[in-house]
Amino acid sequence: MDRNQTHRNRRRIYKALHFFGLFLIMEVICIPGLWIVLNSFRPTVEIMAKPPVWNPTFTLDHYRAMFGGAGEGGVPVFLYFRNSLIVSVTSTAIAILIGMGGGYAFARYRFAFKNSYFVGLMLFRAVPGVALSLPLFIVFARVGLIDTHFGLILVYVAMNVPFTIWLTDGFFRQIPKELHEAAEIDGCTRWQAFWRVEFPVARSGVASAAIFAFLTSWNEFALASQLTRSVGSKTMPVGLLDFTAEFTINWGGMCALAVLMILPALILTFIVQKHLIAGLTFGGVKG
Amino acid sequence: MTEVTLSNVVKRYGKQQAVHGIDLDIQDGEFLVLVGPSGCGKSTTLRMIAGLEDISDGEISIGNRVVNDLPPRERNISMVFQNYALYPHMTVRENLGFTLQIAKQPEAQITRAVNEAAGILGLDELMDRKPAELSGGQRQRVAMGRAIVRQPDVFLFDEPLSNLDAKLRTQMRVEIKKLHQRVGNTIIYVTHDQVEAMTLADRIVLMRDGHIVQVGTPLELFNTPVNTFAATFIGSPPMNLADGVVSDAGTIVLRDSLTIPVPKSARAHVKPGQKVQLGFRADNLMPVGHAVEEKGELVDLELTVALTEPLGTETLLFADLAGLEVQAKMLNPRPVQPGEKLAFHLMLDKTHVFDAASGVALRG
Amino acid sequence: MRRRIPEWFVLLLPAFIVIAAVVLIPLIFSLYSSFTPYKLTRPSTLWRWIGTANYEKILTDVKFWSAFGRTILFLTIALNVELLLGLLIALMVNKVTWGQRTLRTILMFPMMFSPILVGFQFKFIFNDNIGLVNNALQSLGVSNAALPWLVDGNLAMFSIIFAEVWMSTSVFAILILAGLFAIPQDPLEAAKVDGCTPWQTFRHITLPFLMPFIFIAMTIRSLDVARAYDIVQIMTGGGPAGRTELLWTLMSRTGYVDARMGLANAMGYVSILLSIAFTVYFFKKLSAARAELGMGG
Repeated sequence: MDRNQTHRNRRRIYKALHFFGLFLIMEVICIPGLWIVLNSFRPTVEIMAKPPVWNPTFTLDHYRAMFGGAGEGGVPVFLYFRNSLIVSVTSTAIAILIGMGGGYAFARYRFAFKNSYFVGLMLFRAVPGVALSLPLFIVFARVGLIDTHFGLILVYVAMNVPFTIWLTDGFFRQIPKELHEAAEIDGCTRWQAFWRVEFPVARSGVASAAIFAFLTSWNEFALASQLTRSVGSKTMPVGLLDFTAEFTINWGGMCALAVLMILPALILTFIVQKHLIAGLTFGGVKG
Repeated sequence: MTEVTLSNVVKRYGKQQAVHGIDLDIQDGEFLVLVGPSGCGKSTTLRMIAGLEDISDGEISIGNRVVNDLPPRERNISMVFQNYALYPHMTVRENLGFTLQIAKQPEAQITRAVNEAAGILGLDELMDRKPAELSGGQRQRVAMGRAIVRQPDVFLFDEPLSNLDAKLRTQMRVEIKKLHQRVGNTIIYVTHDQVEAMTLADRIVLMRDGHIVQVGTPLELFNTPVNTFAATFIGSPPMNLADGVVSDAGTIVLRDSLTIPVPKSARAHVKPGQKVQLGFRADNLMPVGHAVEEKGELVDLELTVALTEPLGTETLLFADLAGLEVQAKMLNPRPVQPGEKLAFHLMLDKTHVFDAASGVALRG
Repeated sequence: MRRRIPEWFVLLLPAFIVIAAVVLIPLIFSLYSSFTPYKLTRPSTLWRWIGTANYEKILTDVKFWSAFGRTILFLTIALNVELLLGLLIALMVNKVTWGQRTLRTILMFPMMFSPILVGFQFKFIFNDNIGLVNNALQSLGVSNAALPWLVDGNLAMFSIIFAEVWMSTSVFAILILAGLFAIPQDPLEAAKVDGCTPWQTFRHITLPFLMPFIFIAMTIRSLDVARAYDIVQIMTGGGPAGRTELLWTLMSRTGYVDARMGLANAMGYVSILLSIAFTVYFFKKLSAARAELGMGG
């Protein structure tokens, strides 16, 4: 066989392997999620069936039960959803405002020990939620913040500020400082220059930072599970536990709630997915 | 009337001093160019005038009003930046009108001012584009238009042409000069390019290391540089400098015992034994028969040509003068072979003598 | 000269205040309580100073050390697998010429999942009785008996690592992919012309260029290593018989189930130091990699 032929064959094999590998990986990524979605539409009997039923039947029972209030699980989904939304949106908004200020300070001002401040802030983010939840629980119990929206919002703001600072710092650094100067010369105050020029230019970066903050708050469990008690403040990740009893788990109901949890995150992420990647890389690499 | 006055202006960054007490009076309507190598403090000076940098010491006044602590927006200036600093999220129209919009001018007036500026700079067809869709030259124009719309007392330019290619740069240089003739405002212009400085300026301020080296009209700087730095920075090609020692006989002895009489202007200022540098431009060292009208004292030299650079109307000759490579100019050029020996005339009246130690020009 | 509060300080102040209130103060409190025999059920114990007794107890406790060692092992395996897999996925997706956007979108999928949801999801999928994996294996005839994925110690460890890797690999893949997009083409072409094999090109040009991106991913990951707590807590709760007990689950059980807050906080400090060590390490690596490529500043 001549060399051209060998090379051609080898390339064909590589191509097949490449395709097969990608296919496999995408399967592994997608199937667990799809499995959850699928099971949220299957009757419990079928989920629990042994031997397994491979032909799914379609039912809306779990959703009906979930939204029907005290149905089979009696999990107050609406309240959890509302709590999650209030806590996540508010904490994201506040974290973005505070984080943007910090990111701007790091991007635009020179001061002593800047790097130490920066790493220090990041270290606070690195404190494990579980480790923090123990003392935070006691402190919050003292000041009466347990089981309140406000308490959880406060915690999530503190959690999200460092990473927001990291991302926005990167984005503001991308903007030449001459833009700010030009705006000042054009008659803006520093405040106006920020809001009329720098903020609109960094908008996509800020949006991606907001998504990350939102996802963190929306999905957080370790702290929320300790700091919330009643249906008045429990968020959805904590609510998932309502489907577990001592020895059994209501899988169908849980899957339905899971779908409800993923949906907003999914939609939001897809809307800004381009900025999301740019946000991560700009913030980090060119920082 | 908008004079700009700097008196003893100092800029310190911590312990480092970037600008060392500058005094400068800029006339109303004057086109003043700050020129110098990078890091000489010219941009810092401009930014202090603009209010973008704090003034560590001294006083700046614009139109007889001390502006030391005024923010940029209250100085009624406008500035064109090196990278243009156009607002990327606004169209050209919005960029131009931004300053008036901030000042809360009525819509009709904004439109009129914007259209007028667009007309002056030929931007009419670009009004609805974003800066990212413009070429370098167009961005440059928009930046200038934005400056015009503001109707400032003083225009500040911070190396506005350095991001353009050579051809556009020449073109925009002309446009800036035209703009000045048309609006007649005071302009302070920073550049590191001596050609821009020469061609644009009413007056040039040459700076180095945070000090002013020389202030004067372009021709003053060209013809009577105060020291070797000014001599080599202004003019292209840079002035030739040859080391030598003043002899008892009133001549300067270069290497290889080549002697050249001390030029008339310097005679009263040199002492025998003084180490000096002889400075002359390529325009004043020309092959016999290929020179401009020769006047005054001439020195005959026979030099070997090592390399030629034909430029069309003239050829630059790189010749060997007592072991030193000097540049000479040949008008109405004929082909010259490397290694060819030519007779040259050095125009002594246009030759400068500098003190070798301090670099200061010795002339009366 | 006027003296004012510098603007950068004013801008950073809210961040400092919030973090001090929510993180610093509790941490100081927990540092103090780690020197007391504090039990939630008996508040008066908060005021009894017992010195480093809690730490001594931890340091001599076999259960703690095995949890600590297991945590390190877990993180080492998980992070390495995530990195290698992420690199592999990124390289494969980068080679694709058609439908790349879709693939990238799919890659982002796991990032949106709550860790606790990932825990439940894999608890479901690895369920020995009704889980997808066992159902599939049995239906395909690969295995007759149900594999005890979450009940056998080794299989349980494998399952939680699998869940962790599933959740976190995308961050690596996406960031490395962004790095691949940003690689300048000239050096790659020069290498090809100079006769480099694909492996040599990758080793000497692509990989060094990717390093900062890899370290960003690592740093971002290291900020959140304790996220695995949610997964483990749900999937195995540290079981069976402590075979998947990590530092975090042990701590939470000591604190909330046994109510021994003082002791739990002492463990908490160990876990905090561990997280900080990871973060600082990767931050250093990141700065070094940036400096090497001249991206610093």
